[in-house]
Amino acid sequence: MPLVSRWLFLGLLAVAAQGPEFRDVRIAASGGQVLLSFRFENGLTPEIRERIESGLPTSLVYELELMRDRKHWWDRGIDASRLEIVAMYNAVTREYLVNTKQDGRLIGSRTVRELDELERVMTELESFPAFVLEADPDAERRTRFLVRVRVDLGAGAFLGFIPIQRSSAWVESNKIRFQAPAS
Amino acid sequence: MRAKIDLRGRFERHRKDTRFVAAGLGLLLVVFTAIYYAMQRGRDLPDALVTNKVLLFALRNANFVLILVIVFVLSRNLLRLWLDRRQRVLGARFKTKLIATYVGLSLLPVMLLFFYGNELLKGAIDRWFSDSLRTVLEQSNAVAQALQTEIDERDYREAARLARALGGVTFEEAGGRPLPPGVGARLERAREESGVHFLGLYRGTEFLHAVVDPRSGLNDLPEVGRQLLTDALDSGRSRRVLLPAGTRGRLILAAAAAAGEDRRRLVVVAGTMLDPAVSATSEELIQAYQSYRQLEVQKREFAMSYRLIFILVTLLILLTSSWVGLFLARRLMQPIQELALGTRRISTGDLDHRIEVAADDEMAGVVESFNRMTAELKRNREEIERSQRELLAANRGLAEERALVSAILENLAAGVIAIDPTGRILSANRAALTLLRQREDDLVGKSVRESWSDDERARLADLVTSPDPGPPEGVELALLLGGERRTFEVKRSELKGAAAPGEGSSHGQVVVIEDQSDLVKAQKLAAWTEAARRIAHEIKNPLTPIRLAAERLRVRHRAGDPGIGKLLEESVDVIVREVATMQGLVDEFSRYARMPGPQLAATDLAQLVGEVLALYRDVKPGVAIRPRLEPGLGEVWIDPEQIRRVLLNLLDNALEASEAPGEVAIDVERRGEKFTIAVADEGRGIAAEDRDKLFLPFFSRKRRGTGMGLAIVQRIVADHNGTIRVSDNRPKGTVFTLELPVR
Repeated sequence: MPLVSRWLFLGLLAVAAQGPEFRDVRIAASGGQVLLSFRFENGLTPEIRERIESGLPTSLVYELELMRDRKHWWDRGIDASRLEIVAMYNAVTREYLVNTKQDGRLIGSRTVRELDELERVMTELESFPAFVLEADPDAERRTRFLVRVRVDLGAGAFLGFIPIQRSSAWVESNKIRFQAPAS
Repeated sequence: MRAKIDLRGRFERHRKDTRFVAAGLGLLLVVFTAIYYAMQRGRDLPDALVTNKVLLFALRNANFVLILVIVFVLSRNLLRLWLDRRQRVLGARFKTKLIATYVGLSLLPVMLLFFYGNELLKGAIDRWFSDSLRTVLEQSNAVAQALQTEIDERDYREAARLARALGGVTFEEAGGRPLPPGVGARLERAREESGVHFLGLYRGTEFLHAVVDPRSGLNDLPEVGRQLLTDALDSGRSRRVLLPAGTRGRLILAAAAAAGEDRRRLVVVAGTMLDPAVSATSEELIQAYQSYRQLEVQKREFAMSYRLIFILVTLLILLTSSWVGLFLARRLMQPIQELALGTRRISTGDLDHRIEVAADDEMAGVVESFNRMTAELKRNREEIERSQRELLAANRGLAEERALVSAILENLAAGVIAIDPTGRILSANRAALTLLRQREDDLVGKSVRESWSDDERARLADLVTSPDPGPPEGVELALLLGGERRTFEVKRSELKGAAAPGEGSSHGQVVVIEDQSDLVKAQKLAAWTEAARRIAHEIKNPLTPIRLAAERLRVRHRAGDPGIGKLLEESVDVIVREVATMQGLVDEFSRYARMPGPQLAATDLAQLVGEVLALYRDVKPGVAIRPRLEPGLGEVWIDPEQIRRVLLNLLDNALEASEAPGEVAIDVERRGEKFTIAVADEGRGIAAEDRDKLFLPFFSRKRRGTGMGLAIVQRIVADHNGTIRVSDNRPKGTVFTLELPVR
């Protein structure tokens, strides 16, 4: 994330009394899968809410990276994924259609009638199977893994004319050891 | 200065780079837009939204590029102007003013237009999102939503009432078994009483039974959806709006679950079908409000896009006007700058420089005139250079010629003296100085009278300053220089200027002096030799008769001739006669040798000539003597007796040479300080080989005569400081011309 955008984003966070932030980012291993849970508190800012209420398709894009923990050195990225949750309000039916896509593939779609529920659906993940570990169990068992997550804030322009991808800062989860699934 | 030139040169060298810069910026714009588009496509957004965003981004970047281009063009041209002004390039000030005027004139209205248009745009956007419009749309939406809410509430109340009423009824497993008795009729009655169009019973999410109002337009049982039921089970209540297949209206559903926590408890769903017309109207109202809200959300982006388009147009106008200004300034100034450059080049001597400017206005005429003038200057310079070369060659030739002439003059035996028209001596060669026994300082730069002021040389001065140039063959002049008498032949030649053929002002004269002393000596020696020979011859002529007479007397005397007395008388007569002849010769020669100097006296020349002519009247029949005396001859200073003798000699010779019929003419005239007497006959003339010896003593071609006549004539003329010359008469005969000073 470019420095300027990062400082802008952090500035916005500081100004806002209750700015968006990741909470309880944690992972668990289950059956070869890495299950991710987090809360993106205050993720639906008034601007986003207004946009959703207007009926414009609005998405929150989470960028996920599975990392191998390395002491005294930078962690090594193993896998990455992009989770996009798109909400679109239908004022006639008074419903929010929420589509969930992972790496561009639709993995879920539901209808929500209340805004609070919509916020929960869009900003809270509970045991979401983010990654699958199919590597050598013996090798993986000795290492620790973590997942880091951030929000893609959409395309912007650096200095007004250079297109850049704006993102929040990475937030890391707890670290876990791999447990091979019981055969 | 070099830094400036280098900067300017670099500036000019990279002039075409601006095209690459513009192309690069354009390419960058395209690339950035593509990247931005790719980023937007990464999200699940509608195409129209993505297009709007990308268009906005492209507009913003196009503006940015245009601003860069304008700033670049303006700063580049300002820098060039600044350099031109610092280097004092001709026309830089004018160009600056022109560009400032153009940009200023275009900037002012464009900026006014921009600010005014911006305010208009802002006002228009504010009007689009005015409070009154918002209120109307909100109220309309509220009405539409209220209608739906009211129906929804009624449906829910009915569903809740039925759920409570049927909450105690035990429903067996569906599986196609019939409902408990009376439930269906009760359901139908409840539907009719409540006015809903649909009532359905579900155990959990399992369908049990449903009734439909056949007048509602529902052709089939609607599929309420599993989520409606689960939501009702979760929260006791849920709602949903359906768009049933085959209908044009909306079905508003409300679900209520019976009390309890059992997931298989009873759920009642009530539904009301909205009238298609009402449904469409309310839907339009809701959609209108939603559209308004969407626009409101994107208000800033829309305003920004319009503003950017406005800025884009403004910048394009500004760019165009500034470019036009620069183009016109350059087009106007180019010929002037070319002319200035050409003037400088020509001032440095480069006359081959020509101005090539593509112009078709008055400047074309100026440029053409300039080129013509340059060509003319070149021709003139070449002409001058050619003339200069010729002049130099002529000067060299003249110098060589002068050196040659000088060398010739210096090596000439004759003295050459150049005298200007005022009588000042310009130059004199070495021979002249030697002959006249003077130094160069005595002559050069001084007047003739000043240089030759002594008595002897004054005669030379008289001769040189005389208006009469004298005979072409020159005048003989004897001067006593350094105690030695030298005889010179003096020739004068007037120097004429070459102003026009046949004319010309006098540039002075050249006097050539030749020393004839040796020649005269030789001639005299030859003359005396000839004289001696003639004397001997003349003496020998009478000696022979004398010797013969004497020998005959001796022979007759020895023979005792008795007639010796008569013979003696005859011989003595011969001897006496021949001795007398010899005596005459001796007397004549003695007279020539002892001829006294002239006794000058004022003499009436006309009278003297008349007296001499009177002696010869009718002397030779058939030969007329015709005098031509100039009137007013006046008196001249001569020795009248000697001049009379000269005239007698000349007339004797002329009459003797003339054959009857013939004429002897005598012309007397005065020329300034001299007078001339010419005696012309029509005789045989004198052979060329005899002319040199004509004035020698005892030279004669006549059978009778001593040959002393012309010798005496020349002697007398010389004693009078005059000259005598002989020439051919036309058509035949001889002319003797005397020239004598008047005083």
